[in-house]
Amino acid sequence: MVKFYESSYDYAYSFPAVTLAYFLRYPNPYSTHVLSTDVISRTIDEAGRLQTTRVHRKSSRLPSAVLKLLPKSVLGNVSGGRSESFVLEMSTIDVKEGWMRTESKNLDWTGILSVVEKQQYRRHIPIDEGDDFNVAAGTTGVTTTVMFRSRLGDRLRARAMRKDETASNDGEEEPKKSFLANWSKTGIQRSIEVIASRKTESQLGHAKEGMTVVLERMRRGGLVGVLEGMRKDRELVYNPEAKV
Amino acid sequence: MSASLAPECNEVKERYDSCFLKWYSEKYLRGKGTTDECADLFKDYKQCLTSVLKKRGIDKMLEEAREDHKENDALNMRRK
Repeated sequence: MVKFYESSYDYAYSFPAVTLAYFLRYPNPYSTHVLSTDVISRTIDEAGRLQTTRVHRKSSRLPSAVLKLLPKSVLGNVSGGRSESFVLEMSTIDVKEGWMRTESKNLDWTGILSVVEKQQYRRHIPIDEGDDFNVAAGTTGVTTTVMFRSRLGDRLRARAMRKDETASNDGEEEPKKSFLANWSKTGIQRSIEVIASRKTESQLGHAKEGMTVVLERMRRGGLVGVLEGMRKDRELVYNPEAKV
Repeated sequence: MSASLAPECNEVKERYDSCFLKWYSEKYLRGKGTTDECADLFKDYKQCLTSVLKKRGIDKMLEEAREDHKENDALNMRRK
């Protein structure tokens, strides 16, 4: 079972600024749930594209509606719905052609729900050859696609497929015996996906707000401005009482 | 700068991050960054991080993510 969510947006900032903000987007005031970010690998390929793999650690809270749907055996060591989760992020930047592609996915909880977010950033106005790195020049478009996939669904599909192959011809159906069992599983799955996609819409909003905060700091104070803002945000993450 | 998941790696990470940001904004974005000038600092950072990833079992999750990718590719091929 696969579910998609798609949206497009234009940042009123240049492509170089947006890519820099992408690398520097955590911490920001909208991302206090992001606890850490680490670079796993970073290479430049033959075409001069920069490829980066990062791992983000997030404190996550499963929506109580999801918790109620899940058997204890699946939940494992989650207490009160709080847990840490890891997100793998891969990005490729082609500065000459003016695009950046990203893909992020959750590393744990995949038995319940896999979420894959893909983004395609594109430079809208060709930048001035003389000064590429200009925060004010041009705009950057981004299309975000989020795909929800349940491994449970893939297993059911794989099983159905094996049956197809052994059956003599096409007009096959799920065996009646397993129909009820499959229905209840897919029922839970569907509910999880509905809840997750609702949550995703609000999270994508926050992601956009977070990027904008970082971009605005860059416009006003350059890199120094961004780093100063980050320092303050980081204090908030680790010291929620110390209001800055 | 963002923190490392391993506090003991924060210092080497910060050094690497600063180097990368300087290289990225001053060279790569201007089309002059053909070689990674921060490779040595990245090696130190990676060395610190790798042991922590192993200790916490995150290296396994990374492997699984790659396996999962292959599995689904195979499944999609068969569906066509």
